[in-house]
Amino acid sequence: MENKLIINQIIPFSNVDGSGNRCAIFLQGCNISCIYCHNPETINYCNDCGNCVNACKYDAIHLVKSRIQYDKKLCTSCNACISICPYNSSPKAILYNVAELTELIKQYKPFIRGITISGGEPTLQKHLIIDLFNRIKPLGLTCTIDTNGFFDINEMEDLINITDKFLFDVKTVDDSFKLCGVANLSSLATLEYLLKKNKIEEVRTVVLNSYMDGKKTVEKVAQLLLNHLEVTYKIIKVHTLGLSKQRQNKINDFIPSDEEILELVQIAKDLGLKKVEYVL
Amino acid sequence: MKSTIQDIIQVAESKSLTYQQKLFNMANVAERLIDPRELLGYSDEEMQYLDNSMICDLNEGYALYRPRYIVPDYKVFIENGCRFLNIDPPQSLDELLDGLLILYRHVPSITSFPVYIGDLDKLINPFIQGENKAYIKIKRFLNHIDKTIVDSFCHANIGPEKTLAGELILKAIIELENPTPNITFKYNKNVVEQEFLLKSIDACLRVAKPSFSNDVLYNNDVGEHAIVSCYNALPLGGGAYTLPRLRLGTIARATSSIHELLSDLLPHVSRAMLSMMDKRVSYIVEKSNFFETSFLAEEGFIKKENFTAMFGIVGLADAVNHLLKLEGIHENFGTSKRGDEIGHQILIKLESIVKNYQGVYVERTNNHYLLHGQVGASLHDEDNYNTPAHRIPVGDEPILPTHLIQAGQFHKYFPSGTGDLFAFDQTYLNHLDAVADIIKGAFDIQFRYISTYLQNSDLIRVTGYLVKRSEVAKVESEDVVLRDTDIFAHGTNKNAHLFNRKTRKDGE
Ligand code: SF4
Ligand code: SF4
Repeated sequence: MENKLIINQIIPFSNVDGSGNRCAIFLQGCNISCIYCHNPETINYCNDCGNCVNACKYDAIHLVKSRIQYDKKLCTSCNACISICPYNSSPKAILYNVAELTELIKQYKPFIRGITISGGEPTLQKHLIIDLFNRIKPLGLTCTIDTNGFFDINEMEDLINITDKFLFDVKTVDDSFKLCGVANLSSLATLEYLLKKNKIEEVRTVVLNSYMDGKKTVEKVAQLLLNHLEVTYKIIKVHTLGLSKQRQNKINDFIPSDEEILELVQIAKDLGLKKVEYVL
Repeated sequence: MKSTIQDIIQVAESKSLTYQQKLFNMANVAERLIDPRELLGYSDEEMQYLDNSMICDLNEGYALYRPRYIVPDYKVFIENGCRFLNIDPPQSLDELLDGLLILYRHVPSITSFPVYIGDLDKLINPFIQGENKAYIKIKRFLNHIDKTIVDSFCHANIGPEKTLAGELILKAIIELENPTPNITFKYNKNVVEQEFLLKSIDACLRVAKPSFSNDVLYNNDVGEHAIVSCYNALPLGGGAYTLPRLRLGTIARATSSIHELLSDLLPHVSRAMLSMMDKRVSYIVEKSNFFETSFLAEEGFIKKENFTAMFGIVGLADAVNHLLKLEGIHENFGTSKRGDEIGHQILIKLESIVKNYQGVYVERTNNHYLLHGQVGASLHDEDNYNTPAHRIPVGDEPILPTHLIQAGQFHKYFPSGTGDLFAFDQTYLNHLDAVADIIKGAFDIQFRYISTYLQNSDLIRVTGYLVKRSEVAKVESEDVVLRDTDIFAHGTNKNAHLFNRKTRKDGE
């Protein structure tokens, strides 16, 4: 497993993961667990407990020698396995070594501008990503990483250098425990560092009341972006579509109104930002 | 196909044709009353392939009196005006647009409506004085075309260079949402300006036009040309005499092995069609007095030396699927490696037959007829079993990247045109640059022509031309509709489930 990327899903053509048409690769594994996570099945690695085997009505999952085996051909994408998994994982993750993945991307090369590694949290598999980027960049494709920013820049120097751009989530500027399930995380210093290195394409904040302070977050981010007006700041209203009932119940009372989002957008603009986008 | 006296009565009494459609249909029935054996000298073998549907002559008729497609060089009008119509060279935008509308009434074609109305941006641009006024005129001009040239095969070209006229045309077609004229953006990645390209893509997603042609490739293959009718690339100042087509699905189903198809039946049927083409072209040139009576020829809008003729095919997918079955392979054309191989074998054979044949009166294209991926039409039961050109049957398409690569490999065989169309969902409206990447990629792998549209837009492209869904729905209840291509589209839609063509959502 060590030398293989654990991939939850590959989207050959994506228009929403960085500039132009891109191949988006979603890795398995995350270092946090946000209250509004829309892909909780990407959080953990499968521990082969076997709970999902019987949940699959299409015989696409088996336990072979105590390891999960998944047959893509039989799968109907009903997602029953994901709903039942008690560990926020998926039996459908596929292991790729870097050479295999490179070959796959080469097929799409004429039509894409680059690749975007998303997750999960991609920086958790940094060695393999560096290897992948080393093979992809000579093809003339750009390499983008979508990150939550919760990493130590000293450990990521090599990865940062080879990555063209980051799409950077600023989750919260207060203590991270309530929103992200892990305490004492902060990403602002990392963001500032990457901005200085001209490595940021877009910053995003998902706004959810009570679990984080939207206004304070937007203000802090805006201050950092003032010296980098070419960077887009996207302010996104949390949405509950596709969330489990449990998660919905936790956040239903704290969904900001459209007006609140528009106010935040105004705040960012009043502070001097030029490229502010929002999603209601 | 030959017509009968009964057809005349059927046209006269039709509940769904307008007066004008009846008039043109009457003429067409008359052209087909004559026995082609007598007038054109068709052999019994040739007749047999028409009768068993292996060859379809698209009801072009036998008493031929004009080329199928005419591609006038409208620059002649700007320089000289028109002696025959007694019009001076235009001095203002009004005179230009007025003059063009008059000329269009006099450009013949198989449908009697012009299939090419000019590189409009280049014609109009020098006459623009004041953007706002020009815009109103251009929009009115385009609307006039839609209401008088009631045939979506009518085609205008723009690009590749950015012009103000080009931008105003794009703006107008979005506001008008009319099916006619069809528009092609000639794409050349070395010339195109991104901003102009993105505006074209925006229009194309909103109102299903323009489509995009590979200008570099077509300049190589056809020289100075225009994109006309569906997506046919034809010599400028000329056109194409005729377009019969092989129904490859029908032909293949009559054989029991790929060997039999490639070495026996396909060559036989192909030669019969080539010989029919000779006879048809000769009749137009030698007997019909078309060039002797046309002021377009007399005044240099067209030249006999600039005409070619098109050798069309449909049903590659159906032919391949039959052969896969014979080989015991449970795969479908579109997602089968062996299927692609068989597809190439068939087209390589056809290419060599057509390239090694000396056509008549086609010196413009090195004395050869040109292979053409025909978009399909619904004239016979057999058209239910012959998918357009080399397209993948609706429902069998793989995911978008795979589909593009599969389709692209077959474009090279068709110098006089072929094209593929892809539906995108609404998200692409906010990411036009992503569509631009896909179009550029398609041309990099030697696509000739690509059309895109939003699956939920009111206007939808059915094979090579445009119609309104709501109007197609009306045909179901036999309401009278304005355009003959709507009726055509209705047929094609029913046969090929085109409105269910796969939408490309992000992630597919
Ligand atoms: S998503 Fe696929 S693997 Fe999972 S339960 Fe459904 S069919 Fe089985
Ligand atoms: S996917 Fe989840 S339920 Fe299935 S074996 Fe892995 S951990 Fe268990």
